[in-house]
Amino acid sequence: MRTIKSWWLVLAFLSGFALAMWAEEVILHWRDNRLEFSAPRVHFLGGKPLELLHNAAPVPFGFQVTLFSGTREHVFHKLTDRFVVSYDLWEEKFRVVKTQSPVRRVEHLSATDAEKWCWDQMAIDVSGVAATEPLWVRMEIRAEDGKDGPLFGRGSVSESGISLTSLIELFSQPPRREQSHWGPFEMGPFTLEELKRSSRRGS
Amino acid sequence: MTKLCCLAAVAASMLAGCNVTDDDEKSAQELNVNSRYTVESVNITGQRNVAIPDPLRSELNSFVGTLYDHSALERAADRIKKELRVTDVSIKVARGNEPEQVIVNFEVTRSNEHIFDINVGKFVYDSKEGWSGDGGATMKIRGNALSFGLESNSDTTLERYAGVRARFERKKLGTDRLSVRFDFTSYHDEWNPATLAAAPVSDIYRWRETFSPMATVVIADPLELDFGVSFARFRVPFSTPAQADGQETAAARTESSNAVVSTLRYHQRWGSEHDSQLQELNASYSISSATTLLDTDRNFTRQMARARYKYRHARHTVELGFLTGKISGDAPLYERFVLGDSTTLRGWNKFDLDPLGGSHVVHASVDYAYRIFQVFYDTGAVWDRSPEQRQSVGVGFKKEGFQLAVAFPLRAGRADPIFYAGMNF
Repeated sequence: MRTIKSWWLVLAFLSGFALAMWAEEVILHWRDNRLEFSAPRVHFLGGKPLELLHNAAPVPFGFQVTLFSGTREHVFHKLTDRFVVSYDLWEEKFRVVKTQSPVRRVEHLSATDAEKWCWDQMAIDVSGVAATEPLWVRMEIRAEDGKDGPLFGRGSVSESGISLTSLIELFSQPPRREQSHWGPFEMGPFTLEELKRSSRRGS
Repeated sequence: MTKLCCLAAVAASMLAGCNVTDDDEKSAQELNVNSRYTVESVNITGQRNVAIPDPLRSELNSFVGTLYDHSALERAADRIKKELRVTDVSIKVARGNEPEQVIVNFEVTRSNEHIFDINVGKFVYDSKEGWSGDGGATMKIRGNALSFGLESNSDTTLERYAGVRARFERKKLGTDRLSVRFDFTSYHDEWNPATLAAAPVSDIYRWRETFSPMATVVIADPLELDFGVSFARFRVPFSTPAQADGQETAAARTESSNAVVSTLRYHQRWGSEHDSQLQELNASYSISSATTLLDTDRNFTRQMARARYKYRHARHTVELGFLTGKISGDAPLYERFVLGDSTTLRGWNKFDLDPLGGSHVVHASVDYAYRIFQVFYDTGAVWDRSPEQRQSVGVGFKKEGFQLAVAFPLRAGRADPIFYAGMNF
């Protein structure tokens, strides 16, 4: 009877852990004083950006990761970077170029590997953070898949004047026109100690 | 004055900010893995019976055999959108028939032929004359266009007229070369004191209506001929027109001015807005003749010729304009020639030139623009008996139809500048 109860307890814990893992958009890891991110459920190489990529257009993605320490208002580190992704029509593989210093480039990647490589570049050095200090992290991705037009949109003012249709087109655009974005994803509070423990469990 | 200066500064900074170099696009192109592939063919798809202008077709063909350049293709898509007047053009790229080659398709997804649209055609603020503008609604059904509009204008004629206009138009009547339209306008008129003081009572009308059935035939593209008839009626008083309340008295009668009208037009463009070089010539000659055959109260013949040539190279633009006209007979005031508006002898007050307009006119202008900044020089004369040449100069900003300018008459003594601001004037 006691054995059965223990199994149920373990099963419930594992189920809960699996559910929690599934529910998390972004997963944190601690390795060698670096905070690493992975987001197996966030597929930014999809939807409209992927459609553009399949039509040979290069699509830049802006990444931003902000780490708060102590309180949610205190920014410990903010990291932004830009990745230009293109899709090789003949090889059917992705090339990613990290454009901020240090510039890096990888190619012949699948979509999943390309996404993972981008996240890998966003690791944050946390060597100055106390092990028990509460931390929060916020992550956001924006695709530069919309184009800002000139005054009143492209060619909306013709020789015959400005029309209602062109005005509707203009004002129906969000501030950054049809821009795809993911997040912001927020996590916390957590401590490095907790992360180290879970990393040891995972390894 | 201070307000106008502030307006000028704000508009200038707003317009100046529009020229953003797209370095991001350039670097993105260098980072594109597909830039090593060669373009095999370029097509426009998605719209049947689309007539592609030759310069545009040449540009598209120039991509074939070159390395894939996505930024250049995006610029071409913008040009297609503008020249074919469509709402959206998307770039579709697929593998070519040969290895390392790609096929580019510009997909035109939707036509700009909206069933219903509201349009503001023109508005202009003149610091002497105030606002003028027009706007309206157009409904298109099976090749027919029906439009209604409101207009208030003190810019182009001696009077300020305000009222409604309506038009029915059929672009194709059996053939692409023939179109017909019926225009109706009904305006109420207000007059400047200078004109009231100078004009005979019988010339001052308080309202006028015009009905004009017209046809346009394409003689040899781009040469077109408009022809038709204009039936105009206007109410003129017997007694003094300077009534403060603007009410008509019983002592008024309706006169007619019915004329045969024809206009020969030529409009040719070499290159497009996307090319480094563009030339455009717009010329017309029109004659309207009101004769007793049409049971008219006013007998006159009005002839006018005008031409405008535009040359743009990179960021430099030069425009030359010329206008001449002559009226013989007894034309109503709205037919008489006026200079000193937002396009001719800019800086002059038209009532200082001639409060009754003239039966003869000659005018020429030179506009030079570098990017959004422009300077212009106007010269001309409007007269009945003896011409007196006038000149003016001005500076301003112009971008995508929007314009802001200040102009000065060149004359001895005190010269008040006139500010112009608006769209499509």
